[in-house]
Amino acid sequence: MSRSTRALGARSVAASAALLVLAAGLAGCGSSSTSAPAGTTGATAAKSPAVATGPVTLVNGWVRSKDAMATTATGMAGDMSMTGVFGMLTNTTDKEITVTGGSSPVAGMVEVHETVKNAAGVMVMQPKAGGFVIPAKGTFELKPGGNHIMLMKMSGMPKIGTSVQLTLTTSAGPATLTIPVRNFAGGDENYVPAGGATTSMSGMTHS
Amino acid sequence: MSTGSDRAAAGPGRRTVLLSGLGGIGVLAGAAGLGGCTSSSGTAGASGASAGAGAGSAADTLRDASGHATARAFRGERQAGIIEPPQTYAVFLAVDLPTGADADSVRRLLTIWTDDAEKLMSGQGTLADLEPELAAVPAGITVTIGVGRRVPELTGAAVPSWLAPLPAYKIDKLQERWSGGDLFVQVCANSPTTVAHAVRRMLTNMGSLGRVRWQQRGFREPFEGPGIPMRNLFGQVDGTVQPDVTGSESAMLWIGSAGPAWLHGGSTVVVRRIAMDMEVWDRVDREARENAIGRHLGSGAPLTSPADAPPTAAADLDAKTPLGFHVIDDGSHLRRARGDNKEKILRRPYSYDDAPEVDPTTGRMSGLSNTGLIFVAYQADPMTQFAPMQARLAEKDLLNLWTTPIGSAVFAILPGAKDGEILGQALFG
Repeated sequence: MSRSTRALGARSVAASAALLVLAAGLAGCGSSSTSAPAGTTGATAAKSPAVATGPVTLVNGWVRSKDAMATTATGMAGDMSMTGVFGMLTNTTDKEITVTGGSSPVAGMVEVHETVKNAAGVMVMQPKAGGFVIPAKGTFELKPGGNHIMLMKMSGMPKIGTSVQLTLTTSAGPATLTIPVRNFAGGDENYVPAGGATTSMSGMTHS
Repeated sequence: MSTGSDRAAAGPGRRTVLLSGLGGIGVLAGAAGLGGCTSSSGTAGASGASAGAGAGSAADTLRDASGHATARAFRGERQAGIIEPPQTYAVFLAVDLPTGADADSVRRLLTIWTDDAEKLMSGQGTLADLEPELAAVPAGITVTIGVGRRVPELTGAAVPSWLAPLPAYKIDKLQERWSGGDLFVQVCANSPTTVAHAVRRMLTNMGSLGRVRWQQRGFREPFEGPGIPMRNLFGQVDGTVQPDVTGSESAMLWIGSAGPAWLHGGSTVVVRRIAMDMEVWDRVDREARENAIGRHLGSGAPLTSPADAPPTAAADLDAKTPLGFHVIDDGSHLRRARGDNKEKILRRPYSYDDAPEVDPTTGRMSGLSNTGLIFVAYQADPMTQFAPMQARLAEKDLLNLWTTPIGSAVFAILPGAKDGEILGQALFG
């Protein structure tokens, strides 16, 4: 406490920048993994870890929903039967974990996907052979345009502001996550089913 | 000659002075809270400054060298963005719920905005944010959310009688485009980039759950420190009489057990857009300007005090000139705004200075200015605290010659969200 008080006092005299004070705040609070400045309950709560029942959590996870209204406005009908899950997969154990798939009450099928450039130079997403490998105590990022978990064969888009349950299949056993649903305009990448032809996620009819 | 860089260079000097005078308390208090990491969820409402009384003891804030808080706790009994010294930049916006909105869709919107506000106030991007770098400097950002009458109607909560448009005043020329709304969002920060990003994220994340009804962008003088009253674009110091919101007069700000259960710890806000006719104001000399407000233009002190007195000096409403007129004019803003002590409001105004409007017939900008004040006042009950004052000013106030209310809205400010809650949790039974 006294250390931080002195640090701030010195900086007031020096009229120095806000970022330095932020740094002092982090040091004072001994905060490790977060980039958030406030060393209070708010900072940790704001990280939105998914429910931590299992060996893997999803920090700041979200499920992409799209608005039928918004997609119509852009001329895209949109495929309402599939969507992506994003966030920071976090291995809470001290052993490497592989995520190979999962299940969800809202989806008939769950796959782990990567996004790669195909022979034609087009970015396409496809099932990730071997699954996602999360290092011990490490993370694995899921993001639009990159690796992600695909919810497929849904009866419709989950509503924004709700949450979706997803149980991951991992080498360390199942991990159940509750993931908030958010509005997101991007993510209409081309999708190549395993051994299938290229289709677009927007407008494609998924069989 | 004063160049931009001169002013910037001069800034820290003045800020240092302010720090030793007003801001210093806040800095030390902030440091104490910070070092100890003891900030609890209940302190947010009790911290911050009451204007004129120093920078307060914001135990849950970090402050930079200028005394500006850099990150504020979101969780607490009360929302942030009310009693803290006003940040430099603000956006106020009202959202309308679509036809077919119901309690569930309102709850989902508040779920999203609660998460957005918490993340943004801790310097993080929101979920689904591909530009989180723009949130990395929180710049003291606060997000404050309120609701209009339709929200408790939809959720079945008690609807307070004051949650309605204000009475019509004869000076009003209200426009729909600046009035009303089903939900209210106030975003304030000391960086315009931080404000812009936060507003964009919250509106994007809103999706089709709501539609923007109006949006107002405002600013204050960044070189004023905490506790320094607002100077509007007429050059007048205003907002000098404020309740002691952290002390004996806190009941004037916060809704207590007499109000609906879903608003315990909440408040109310009145947002009025006041157009200022700069071109006509230009015709008025400084003597007449001071007479109109009843204060010295330079210091903001009442005209019955020396010109260099503080703006909070007590006005002598009985003092007369040798000719027998009141020194503080019978129509002056100071005299007309003055009520009994039950009518205090917490003002948090911002200036606006937008591009002149385009005349639809000529396609050209009309006039030289589109300037005014976003009048923002927080109080426990707008009908007993704000409305009587506004009625007196509408009846007689020399400033009415140059000012016109063109927008007006009243919202209930939700209580803070405690751990595990969304804003407005109690609306949903």
